[in-house]
Amino acid sequence: MAVVTSPLAARRKRTSKIVAALCMAAAGIALAVLFSILFTLVSRGLPALTFRLFTTETLPTGENGGLANAIVGSLIQVGIGMAIATPIGVLAGTYLAEYAQKSRLGAVTRFVSDILLSAPSILVGLFVYELMVATTKTYSAIAGSVALAVIAIPIIIRTTEDMLSLVPVPLREAAAALGAPKWKVTTLIAWRAAGAGMLTGLLLALARVAGETAPLLFTSLGNLNWSTSLSEPMASLPLTIYQFAASPYGDLVELAWAGALLITVGVLAINIIAQLVVGRKR
Amino acid sequence: MADAAPVTPTGERAQISVRGLDFYYGSNKALKNINLDFGEKRVTALIGPSGCGKSTLLRVINRMYSLYPDQRATGEVLMDGQNLIDEKVDPTDLRARIGMVFQKPTPFPMSIAENISFGVKLHERLNRAEMEARVEWSLRKAAIWDEVKDRLNSSALGLSGGQQQRLCIARTIAVKPQVLLFDEPTSALDPISTAKVEELIAELRADFTIAIVTHSMQQAARCSDQTAFLYLGEVIEVGSTSQVFTAPREQRTKDYVTGRFG
Repeated sequence: MAVVTSPLAARRKRTSKIVAALCMAAAGIALAVLFSILFTLVSRGLPALTFRLFTTETLPTGENGGLANAIVGSLIQVGIGMAIATPIGVLAGTYLAEYAQKSRLGAVTRFVSDILLSAPSILVGLFVYELMVATTKTYSAIAGSVALAVIAIPIIIRTTEDMLSLVPVPLREAAAALGAPKWKVTTLIAWRAAGAGMLTGLLLALARVAGETAPLLFTSLGNLNWSTSLSEPMASLPLTIYQFAASPYGDLVELAWAGALLITVGVLAINIIAQLVVGRKR
Repeated sequence: MADAAPVTPTGERAQISVRGLDFYYGSNKALKNINLDFGEKRVTALIGPSGCGKSTLLRVINRMYSLYPDQRATGEVLMDGQNLIDEKVDPTDLRARIGMVFQKPTPFPMSIAENISFGVKLHERLNRAEMEARVEWSLRKAAIWDEVKDRLNSSALGLSGGQQQRLCIARTIAVKPQVLLFDEPTSALDPISTAKVEELIAELRADFTIAIVTHSMQQAARCSDQTAFLYLGEVIEVGSTSQVFTAPREQRTKDYVTGRFG
C-alpha cells in the first residue's frame, strides 16, 4: 500500500519533530548542568573523603580535622526536627483531607501552609531566633531542630493531603458500610492505602531539611567543638560547609567538598529509597 | 410490634418498610414520598433509568448518606420497629445489621483474610480460631473459598475483578447482617463473573433479605422475587417480579421494561 501524505499531515509531522527536538535539548541542558555539578562534587569531594572524616571533629586549619561533630549534629537536629514535624504534618494533612475539605478553617490552614511551603528558609531561621534564641539568650541545637521542623511541616502537610485525596471515595464508603467509624476508616483504610505516598512525602521532607543551611544560621549557630547538648550550639554539615568553603585555608575547603558530597549522596539515597517505596507498593 | 408487621405486595413479612420517605441532595429533592416493603429473605430488585433514585434509596437504608452533610432524609425506614434514619440510631451499629456491596469491587489494601476480619473486628471480639472459622465460613458462603484458600495471606489486590467482588460480598456477610444491599454489583464484571455473582445472590436469599439495584432487566428478572420500578424519584410500580415484567399495571413501567426508554 502506498503511503499517502497530505500537506497537513506533513506539516504536523514536521512540527512534532521540532517540538520533540526542543524538549530533548532542554532535557539535555538540565542533565548537563546536573551532571557537571555531580562530577565536580565527586572529583573534588572523593579525594577528601577519608575514614578519619567520620571519627575526628572539626579542628583548626593544619590540624587534620574531620567532620564527625558536623555529621552527628546533622543527624541529631534532622532527627529531632522530623520527630517534631512528622506527627504535626501528618495529622494536619489528614485533617485537611478527611475532615476539612470544604470548611473555612481548612481553607485557611491550607493557604497558610502553602505560603509557608514557599517561604524563604532564612525567614524561618529568623522566626525561630526570635522565638527561642532571643528568649533563652542562647543559640541551641533544639532551636535548630525546631527551625528544620517548621520547614518540614508544610511539605508533609501537602504530600499527606495530596496522597489521602487520591484514595478512592468508594474505598472509604466500603469501610464505612461495614460499620467502621470515621476515625477507623481514616487510620486503618485511608492511611494504609496512601501509606507509600505519605512515606515518600516524609522522606522528601527529610531530604529537604538535611541540606538546609539558612534556618540553622540563627538557631543552632554551628559549633567547631564536639557537643551533643541540645541546649548548646551544635555543628551541622550544611553550616560547616558554609563556613569552611568560604575559608582561605585549602584543607578546610577540601573538608567542605567532602561534606557536600556526603550530603548529596545522603539525599540521593533518601530519594532512591522513596522511589523504591513507591515502586514496591505499585 | 410483630403483629403489626407490614407485608409486601406478594404477601411476605416485611423486614424493612419504607414509609413517606423524602430525600434531598442539598435543595434538590431526589426521592419523593417513597413507600416500599422489602420482604424478609426475599430479593427485591430496584429498577429504573439512570438518576431515578434507586441507588439513593439503597444509600438511605444503611444511612450511607449521613457521611455527607448536605444530604438529608425525612420519613421512616422501619426495621424491627425502629426508624433507621432517626438521628438517635447509631449508623455504625445499623451497618452491622445492613451490609452493602458496591458497584465496583473495593478490596482493602490488605490480605484476603484481613479484608474479612476488618469488618468482623469492628463489632465482635473473636479469638484466633474463631476468626479463622469466620473467615472460612464467609468465603465459603460467597463461593470463593476454593479459589483463595491457599492464599489467604496474600494481597486482595491480586484477585481478578470478579473474585474481588465476591470477596467484598464475603466481607459483608462475615459481619452477619440481616440485610444485604447490592448497588449494581455486576456492572463492572464480565459475563462469567456476573453469572457467578447472580448465582450467589440466589443462594444468599436463603439467609438474608436482599435489595439489588440493577440496570439489567434480565438480572432483575433472573434474581428477584419482587421488583420496584422507580422513575424521577418516585416508586411507580411494585409487585412480584413476574407481574412487573409480564403484566405491568402502569404504562411507564411497561415502556421501561419493554425497552422503550431508559
